Amino acid sequence: MPVPYAPAPTGVVLEQPRMTRPTDGRWIAGVCAGLAEQVHLPVVWVRVGMALLGLSGPGLVGYVLFWALTPQRERDDVIDPAAPEAPHREKPQRPGGLALGVVIASVGLLFGMSQAIGPRLSLLLPVLAIGAIVVFGLTSADAAQRDRWLGRRSGWPALARLVAGALAVVAGAVVLLSRGQSIGVASDIAVATVIVLLGLLMLIAPLALRLWSDSADARSARARADERADIAAHLHDSVLQTLALIQRQATDPARVATLARVQERELRTYLYGGATDAEASLAAALAVVTDEIEMGHGIPIDVVISGDAQMDDHVHALVRALREALTNAARHGTPPVAVYAAAGPDLIEVFVRDHGPGLDIETIPEDRLGVRESIIGRMTRAGGSATVRRLDPGTEWTLTLPTPTPGSHP
Amino acid sequence: MTADTSPARPVRVVIVDDHKMFRTGVKAELSEVAPGRLEIVGEAPGVDEAIKVVRATHPDVVLLDVHLPGGNGRGGVDVLHGCVAQESLTGQPVRFLALSVSDAADDVIAVIRAGARGYVTKSITGSDLATAIRRVADGDAVFSPRLAGFVLDAFGASAGEIAEIDEELDRLSLREREVMRLIARGYQYKEVAKELFISIKTVETHVSSVLRKLQLSSRHELTTWAMGRKLV
Repeated sequence: MPVPYAPAPTGVVLEQPRMTRPTDGRWIAGVCAGLAEQVHLPVVWVRVGMALLGLSGPGLVGYVLFWALTPQRERDDVIDPAAPEAPHREKPQRPGGLALGVVIASVGLLFGMSQAIGPRLSLLLPVLAIGAIVVFGLTSADAAQRDRWLGRRSGWPALARLVAGALAVVAGAVVLLSRGQSIGVASDIAVATVIVLLGLLMLIAPLALRLWSDSADARSARARADERADIAAHLHDSVLQTLALIQRQATDPARVATLARVQERELRTYLYGGATDAEASLAAALAVVTDEIEMGHGIPIDVVISGDAQMDDHVHALVRALREALTNAARHGTPPVAVYAAAGPDLIEVFVRDHGPGLDIETIPEDRLGVRESIIGRMTRAGGSATVRRLDPGTEWTLTLPTPTPGSHP
Repeated sequence: MTADTSPARPVRVVIVDDHKMFRTGVKAELSEVAPGRLEIVGEAPGVDEAIKVVRATHPDVVLLDVHLPGGNGRGGVDVLHGCVAQESLTGQPVRFLALSVSDAADDVIAVIRAGARGYVTKSITGSDLATAIRRVADGDAVFSPRLAGFVLDAFGASAGEIAEIDEELDRLSLREREVMRLIARGYQYKEVAKELFISIKTVETHVSSVLRKLQLSSRHELTTWAMGRKLV
C-alpha cells in the first residue's frame, strides 16, 4: 500500500531533456558531444563546425558559453541512492581540458579585439593571465565545490575565491596600464580592458544563473531529505523497536498481538494525524483511555466516534466512568470490545460492549466498588446516568450525559 | 455469523491488494473458515492488473484495497471506474467490497461513492470477512462500525438531523439512524434485527438504502470529500 504521506506525484511534465555534457568521449569539455546528442547530428560534424566557427572569435566565446551553461552529465553508476547528499557526485572536470578551453577562448577574444585596437602582441600575455586565472577559478567550483559556493558549509572559501579573482582582474589591469607609455596607447589599453571585463561578465552571468537554479534544486532536495530523515527516525523509534520486541517475545501470542496493536495505533496517529490533546476534546480523551486499557490488558478495542464535545468537569467524569467500564470489559468480558461514542448537541452517549458471559447488576457483590461507585455513582453525580444490560452474548454499558445548551450554563 | 444457506455454488472472489503477504493471508484464512463456499479466482497487485483480471474472470465479488499503485493514482476508485458494467458469470453486476487499513473518511467515502458495496477494515476476522463477502455477493451492503460512524457524522445524524421522508437523499431516516447507531456499537445484523424487532432482511434493506444515499446524496460533507478525490 502506498504510504499516504507520500501522495502520488501529480502533473510532472517531462520537458525536452536538458542538454548535458557527457563525461565519456569528450575532447575538451564535452560541449560538441553534448550538442551533437541534443540536435541528433554526428559529433564529427559538430566538431568541424565548431572548429570553423572557432577560427573567428565569437565561435570560441560561444563554446565557452555553452560549456558554462550546460551541466555536466551525472553518471548513473556514480549515483548512490542511499547517499543523495554525497557532494562528489559529478566527476571532477579535468583541469587540463578546462585550462585549454580558457586559453583558446582568450586567444579568440583577442583576435576579435585586434581588429579594433590593432595587433599588439604585448597585450596578449597579461590578458591571457587574467582570463585564465578568473575563469579557471570560477569553474573549478563547478562540481565538487559547488556546495561551498552555495554557502552550504562555509562561506569563507567562496568569498576568498571571489576576492582572489577580483584582485587578479585588477592586478592584470594595472599591469596593462603601466605598460602604456603614451596617452594614445593608454586609451587603447583602457578600451581593451573594458572589452575583457565585458567578456568576463558574459562568462560569469550564465554561471551565476546556473548556480542560482542549482541552489533551488538543492534546497528542495534538502527538504525532501529532511522529511525522509524525520520519517526514518520516527520509524526507528517506534516500529523497529516494536518489531524487535515482537521477535524476542514470539512465543507469547497474546503479547505479540498487543504489541502489534499498540504499535498500529501509534503509527496510525502519526500517519493520519489525530487529536492529541486529551484535555481539549472528548474524542482525544477517549483515544487516550482506550489506548491505556488496550496496553494494560492486552485486548483489542474498536473505537468509533461520531461528533465531538468540549471537555468540562462532567465530561471528565464520563471519561473516568468509561475507563472503569472498559477495565471491567477487559477483565471479565471477551473480545472484541467495542466503544461507540455519539456526541450530539444536547446529549453525549457512550456505549461499551464486550462479548463475555454477561454481567448481571443484581448479582454484583456489594464490595465491588468498581461498578457501583466508579461507573454508576460517578455518572449520577455528573448529572448523567449509567445502565448495564446483558446481551447474547456479552454486556453493554450505556453512559449518557446531557450537555448543557450554550447560554444556560452559568 | 449468519448461516449461509444452501450455497449452490461457491462465490467467486478476486483479491486486489498490493501486498502479496496480505493476499496470501486472506486466501489462507478464507479457505480455512469457508471451505468450498468461497473460491479465489484471481489476484492483482495494482489498478491495471485488477481491471484485466476482473474482465477476464468475471468474479462475483472483488475484495478491493483502497490504496493501490497504477491507474490514475486514485487506487480502488480507478479500479471501480475501470470495471463499470462488468458482470459475473451469473449475469449479476460484479460487486466490490472495500478493504482498508485507512481510517481516513475521504478514502472510504470515495470508494463507496465510486460504487463499492461495503467497507471493512483489514483487522476483520476471517469468518466475518467470509460473511461480508457472501452478503455483498447477494447484493447487500456491508458496513463496518467505523463506516457507520462516518455515515452518522456525514449525514448530520449525530447532530440530530433526521429526514422527514425516507426517500430524502441528504439525511437519514429515523430507522436508518437507529440501524447505523447499532452497527457503530458493534452489533451484528442479527443483533440489530433483534434489538429493533425487525427481520434481518429489513436490516439489510435499511443498510442498502443508506449505501444508496451515501452514493447519490449531494450533501455538502460528502461532496467535499468526493471533490477532494475528483469524483464529482
